[in-house]
Amino acid sequence: MHRLMSVSLAFAIVASFGCIRPEGAKKTLAGSELYAACASCHGEAGAGNASIAAPNIAGLPAWYVEAQLVKYRSGIRGYHPEDIEGLRMRPMSRQMMDEAEVKAVAAYVSSLKAVKAAPSVQGGDATAGAGQYATCQACHGDKGQGMDATKAPPLAGQYDWYLVSQLKKFKGGVRGAHPLDTTGAQMRPMASMLADEQAMKNVVAHIGTFSR
Amino acid sequence: MIDQYVESISTFSGDIDNVIWVVFLIVGFWFVLAELVFFGLIFKFLAKPGVKAKYVSGERPEEKRWVTLPHYATLAFDVAIIVLAIKVWHDVKIDLPKADSTVRVISQQWAWTFVHPGPDNQLDTPDDITTVDELHVEKDKTYHFELTSRDVLHSFSVPVFRLKQDAIPGRIIKGWFKATQTGQYDIQCTEICGIGHGIMPARIIIESPAQHRTWNQSNAPKVADAAPTTPPTQLGGMP
Ligand code: HEC
Ligand code: HEC
Ligand SMILES: [Cu+2]
Repeated sequence: MHRLMSVSLAFAIVASFGCIRPEGAKKTLAGSELYAACASCHGEAGAGNASIAAPNIAGLPAWYVEAQLVKYRSGIRGYHPEDIEGLRMRPMSRQMMDEAEVKAVAAYVSSLKAVKAAPSVQGGDATAGAGQYATCQACHGDKGQGMDATKAPPLAGQYDWYLVSQLKKFKGGVRGAHPLDTTGAQMRPMASMLADEQAMKNVVAHIGTFSR
Repeated sequence: MIDQYVESISTFSGDIDNVIWVVFLIVGFWFVLAELVFFGLIFKFLAKPGVKAKYVSGERPEEKRWVTLPHYATLAFDVAIIVLAIKVWHDVKIDLPKADSTVRVISQQWAWTFVHPGPDNQLDTPDDITTVDELHVEKDKTYHFELTSRDVLHSFSVPVFRLKQDAIPGRIIKGWFKATQTGQYDIQCTEICGIGHGIMPARIIIESPAQHRTWNQSNAPKVADAAPTTPPTQLGGMP
C-alpha cells in the first residue's frame, strides 16, 4: 500500500518536470522532421494533391520555397478573404518556429526529386499558348525552368490546374496585390495580359509541353 | 471566480457562469457527501479481529434507502438544473434581441472571414469591410452574427463572451452578443475541422463608439474599387 503510494507520487513529480523546457533544450528541427507537417497535403514526395488544391512543390528552388513561406507567414500571400486555398496554406506556414526552421524545411523541399504532374485541364491549345509564352520566357526561362535572377519560379512540371488558378489569382488581385509583395507585383501585370481563361489555358498547355 | 481566469464581458456571460456555478455546487455537494459516506463506511467496517465478514444483499428497505434517496435527490436537482439552463439557453440562443448591427462570420479551413456592415451599417452594400481573422465590434451594441462555413464543421467561440456556436456548411446560423467592455480578445475554433484546427485563431477587437467610427471610416472600401459581393468560388483544385 505504502509502496504503491510512493511510486505514484514519484511518477507525478517526474511528470511535472516534463512541462518545463529549459532554455538550452530548444533546438531547430531538421527539414525532414518539419516536413512531416506538410506531407499530409503535399505528399511524402512533395508531388501535391489535387483534391485539396495542394501544388507540386518537389524540387522547387529553396529560395522560392523560403520566400513563399515567409510571405504566407507574414500575411503577404494567402491573406485575401477570397483566397480559399491560400488561407489553407497560411496557418501551415506558421508551424515553423523561426527563420532557421523555415530555411530547413525549404532546403528539404528543394532536395525532393522533381516530378512532372499529370495534366487534367481540358481545352488548352499549346500551339496558341506558345505565342503567349514568349512574354513569360524573359523571367521564367525558355523551358519554364525558372530563374534565380528574376525571382521567377519554375513552372515546368507543375499541375496545370494550379497554374491556371494562380494566374486567376494574380489577375484578380487575390495574390500579388499586397503592398509589400514586390515579386508578386511583377507577376500581376503579366497575368492581366492574358485576356481570358482560354488564354490562360493555352499558355498553361504550352508549359505542359516542357519536361521537368 | 470564473472571470478571474477568463474575463466575462458580454451581457450573458455572467448568466452562463452562474449556471456553471450552480452545477458545480450541486455536483460538488453530492461528490463530497458521497466520498464522506464511502470512506466513512470503509473505516467503520475495517477488518477487526474476531469479526467475520458478512454479505449484504441490499434488499431490505433500510439498506435500499442508501440508493433510492440519493437517486430521487439527483432527479430533483437535475430538474432544477435543466429549468435554470433552459432559461439561459433561451436568452442566449433562441430569443435574439433586436440588432443594432449585423456581421457575417465565414469559417473555412483554417481562417475566419468577417464581413462588417461598414459606415452605412448595412450588409451587402459596397462599403462593407471584409477582414480575415479580425472582427471589429462596438461596445454596448447588440450584434447579430450570421455564421456560415465554406467547407466543414467549425465552431465560432469567443471565450470572454461565453459564446460558442457550431458552423454548418450550407446553413446560415444566427446568433447574438453584446460586449460590455472594450479590448482585444481571442476567437477560437472549437470543432475539430482538420489538421489546421488548432491553428485557426482570430481576434475580436471591441472598440468605443469613437474608435469604431474611425475604424469604419478608414477601412471602408471606396465605392469604385469595392469587392464584389458574390460569394467566392474555389479557384484551385480539380476543375
Ligand atoms: C492543409 C494542407 C497543406 C499543408 C499541411 C501544407 N500546405 Fe503548402 N499549400 C497548400 C495549398 C492548398 C497551397 C496552394 C495555395 C494557393 O493556391 O495559393 C499550398 C502552397 C504551398 C507553397 C507555394 C507553392 C508555389 O508554387 O508557390 C509552398 C512553398 C508550400 N505550400 C509549402 C508547404 C510546406 C513547406 C508545408 C509544411 C510546413 C506545407 N506547405 C503544408 C496546402 C498545404
Ligand atoms: C517580370 C518577370 C515575369 C514575367 C514576364 C512573368 N512572370 Fe510569372 N512570376 C514572376 C515572379 C517574380 C513570380 C513569383 C511571384 C511571387 O513571388 O509570389 C511569378 C510567378 C508565377 C506563377 C506562380 C507560380 C507558383 O508556383 O505559384 C505563375 C503561374 C506564373 N508566374 C506564370 C507566368 C506566365 C504564364 C507568364 C507569361 C504570361 C509569366 N508568369 C510572366 C515573374 C514573371
Ligand atoms: Cu475550424
